[in-house]
Amino acid sequence: MNSNRRVLVFVLSSVTLYLLFSLTAYIFHFNWTPFKRVNLISDVVHSESTILLEDSTTTGGIVIIDKKPDKEFNLYHRPHFITSFNTDTTKPSLYRFLEKLDKLKKGEKRKIRIAYFGDSMIEGDLMTQTIRKLLQGEFGGSGVGFVPITSIVSKFRQSAYANYSGGWQDESFKNTGFNSKVFLSGHLFRSNGDWVEIRDQSITDSAAIIEKSLLYGNTPQPVSITVNGSPYNLQPGKSINRALLARDLNRGIKIGVADERLPVYGITFETSSGIVVDNFSFRGITGIEFGKIDSVFLKSIAENHPYDLLVFQYGVNLLFRPNDKNFSWYARTLTPVIRKFRNCFPDADLVIVSTADRAFRYGGQYKSAIGIDSLIKVQAILAYETGSNFYNQYETMGGRNSIIEWASRSPSLANKDYVHPNHRGAEILGGYFFEAIMNDYRKYLGKNR
Amino acid sequence: MPSFDLQSFFRQFLYDPENPLLFNNGFFVFFFAVFIGLYYHFRNSFKIRRYIFCFFSLYFFYKASGFFVVLVIVSAIVDFVVSNAIYVQKNKAKRKLLLIASIVFNLGMLFYFKYTNFFISVSNDLFDTGFNPLNILLPVGISFYTFENLSYTIDVYRGHFKPATKFSDYLLFLAFFPKLVMGPIVRAHDFLPQINRPYVLSDRDFAKGFYLIISGMFKKLIISDFLTINYVNYIFDDPSRYTGLENLFAVYGYAAVIYCDFSGYSDVALGIARWLGFSIPTNFLSPYQSKSITEFWRRWHISLSSWLRDYLYIPLGGNKKHSVGTFLFAGLFVFGVVMAGVHLLGLSYIGGGLLSLGIILVFILPSLIKKDKAGVATNLNLLATMLLGGFWHGASWNFIVWGALHGIGLAVHKIWMLLTGKAFKKINTKPWYNAIAILLTFHFVCFGWVFFKAEDFNTATAMLNQIVHNFSFNVWDAFYGNYHAVIWMIAIAFILHAIPDSFADKLLDRYNRVPMWGYITIFFLFVMLYGYFKSAEPVMPIYLQF
Repeated sequence: MNSNRRVLVFVLSSVTLYLLFSLTAYIFHFNWTPFKRVNLISDVVHSESTILLEDSTTTGGIVIIDKKPDKEFNLYHRPHFITSFNTDTTKPSLYRFLEKLDKLKKGEKRKIRIAYFGDSMIEGDLMTQTIRKLLQGEFGGSGVGFVPITSIVSKFRQSAYANYSGGWQDESFKNTGFNSKVFLSGHLFRSNGDWVEIRDQSITDSAAIIEKSLLYGNTPQPVSITVNGSPYNLQPGKSINRALLARDLNRGIKIGVADERLPVYGITFETSSGIVVDNFSFRGITGIEFGKIDSVFLKSIAENHPYDLLVFQYGVNLLFRPNDKNFSWYARTLTPVIRKFRNCFPDADLVIVSTADRAFRYGGQYKSAIGIDSLIKVQAILAYETGSNFYNQYETMGGRNSIIEWASRSPSLANKDYVHPNHRGAEILGGYFFEAIMNDYRKYLGKNR
Repeated sequence: MPSFDLQSFFRQFLYDPENPLLFNNGFFVFFFAVFIGLYYHFRNSFKIRRYIFCFFSLYFFYKASGFFVVLVIVSAIVDFVVSNAIYVQKNKAKRKLLLIASIVFNLGMLFYFKYTNFFISVSNDLFDTGFNPLNILLPVGISFYTFENLSYTIDVYRGHFKPATKFSDYLLFLAFFPKLVMGPIVRAHDFLPQINRPYVLSDRDFAKGFYLIISGMFKKLIISDFLTINYVNYIFDDPSRYTGLENLFAVYGYAAVIYCDFSGYSDVALGIARWLGFSIPTNFLSPYQSKSITEFWRRWHISLSSWLRDYLYIPLGGNKKHSVGTFLFAGLFVFGVVMAGVHLLGLSYIGGGLLSLGIILVFILPSLIKKDKAGVATNLNLLATMLLGGFWHGASWNFIVWGALHGIGLAVHKIWMLLTGKAFKKINTKPWYNAIAILLTFHFVCFGWVFFKAEDFNTATAMLNQIVHNFSFNVWDAFYGNYHAVIWMIAIAFILHAIPDSFADKLLDRYNRVPMWGYITIFFLFVMLYGYFKSAEPVMPIYLQF
């Protein structure tokens, strides 16, 4: 018997039924999601619910902003632009920082140190290695800056090589034994007989003389460590201390610590004059964790290891649920933290960098997080209210849905988690930030001619 | 009120690069219904039926890749004309010339579209030529229909069969829509005789076709898509961000993905063909059940490996002799290994040379021991076949590395057989021995997949590095907590894979007369399951700490 008729009967009856189901679902507003996703006629029929989805950019529950003279809040929307919200946009924003840059450019010997704080977006020195390279190329200086003793991403980081023994204890933001004297990196290390070897791999100038210093905390009495195998005595005293371990052409250094009382932070690689960019990445945080660091300790950092520019780039970890839109609590919690930093680092300018784009799947399709505009506004308010500067990274990278476009490019610029730009994307973002500083610098030059 | 959008309705009929036609588009449902209606109505008029089939196949291709459909038509015309010319030509030299013309045309097209940019970048790297890459899009299915064209012309040249006399026969062979996009690679001598045959199906055929289509869709649309989007892509994108455990599971997950994707698509193609009265040979036979890498290649993408055997391995000399090609590819391989050793592994030229020498020894040592001269050629031919086979999968070094790994795997297996063949006669049939052999083979294949899937060599090594150096079971709880759905899906994939191939046939024999409503119910259950997975909340990556 020929069963070819069965194929016809099966296909035609299934399709007819399928079509009937699809039509009924539309007519009777039967909105069961699994069926909606496979509705046969969804490409040619529009119902109100699909249109509603698009209109979800409203911001909810936001603090009211005081109108300040000469200040324009809405400047925060502008891409490729560091704003102090000054109505006169021909004036530079980072005036004091630019003044220092200009002196360095004109030949004055001095260090300009930048602390770049961030989450997993800058892990492995992503973004900051580009900013460092470009700034050092423009204004001079060599060296990778601060490198923590151990790090979960030390193998991923290209700009510095770190090898260490397994016994280091890490007291950090995320550990139970939290210590209010963790460094800006969020970590404090202790060891009883461990070693670490760090090599700066960022230096291109083979003639550069590199200062390799150890950053460590207070100890009750002098502590002896080993540096490249030889003993070295650390003097006690301040809350934070910097010991110059070596000043030569070597790019690497190895230290051994056999006293658990010594709080160790990391090793810095700097030249005696020029730009230093320290990468302080800490996975999964939003910035409010810095509130836990003791103010006296922060002031001691500002005194003994001063910074000229502080950059805070957070936000993506607030967008961990697709439908969150209200971030006003974040403004309330972070404002005192930013104020504390501004007080403790009076000589430093501060920039708040907005989150980059991040997407979620809404109804089967990836789109920018619906709360992203609201979050960026909150971040801008933070900058505005604390007298800090703001840089809109989201608009700079292309705004709405740009992370999706970045992830789909070939070669891709972002990972398919639709959160993290990869090393190619990070290089672009770093370049944009550098350009924004340079634009500001050109304004400064224009004003001071 | 819902409103009908006439404009979008008409746009559905045009090619949309954002949304090319696949078996799982809503459009395909209508496409197939209209097609089957016409096909059935004209089933007894072979000519009209053939034209309908050609038209729908070409239209399918247009909806899948736009105006590249012209390439299929042009290559069908060229090969149809040339093969007939070869057939009537009696002069040996002229026949050969025609064959060469056809090969140059087909491979030239494949090369231009698939490999131009690869060779531009190789030239830029080696000679600093500074050429700009061209903006070339890869036409869908070109790797498949080029091979079909080649085998057809070569078979005619070899006198294996008479070429098609009707152009529409040949066009249908080439453009047959079920297999156009992702294979299997069909041979003309299998396919052509089936075109002008009465449309006869048994109950068993209908049931088998249904089973192939639904199980294929399940593998492709549910298992493979779910794992890809919710896990595998995250890890392969940036392995250094994840722990060794996550990386290892990504490799297992990808092993499931590539199998389910590829064999799922093949099964749907086979099932649809079966429903239309065509039988196409099986393409996958539970490959991860293989006990050796040699066996793996008899079970994995069979239509490709048999094509490579017949039209590459045997012309190179097969297991009998060597040819210019044998040494050309062996030479290129030696050079490639030295360069790879120096540039990728950071060895000195001497180190690279030694590595290369070591690998070549693996290929020729067994034959030298046996004093079997032909064996040397056999192994080198095998190596060349695997290298080109790897390269066929995509224009990048990764695929060449992958091919080379499999070539080495085959050679090592030969040595193993030589060393243990007699000694292990007693134990190599024991279940525990087989279990070890299956696990070893599977893990070797997985090792190869790392290079196959990773974007570049550095990503692949980063992944392996994480698995070897940053592996710890301490993260299991957090890992399972976040990814349990993914882990279970991987488990389901491998459990389904472990079921013997004969099981489905036994099942179908037992229940070969299911009433129509039964089939329809199963179909809608599948649609609902598909809808459920399509709308499921995505699993987001977590970044575990060690």
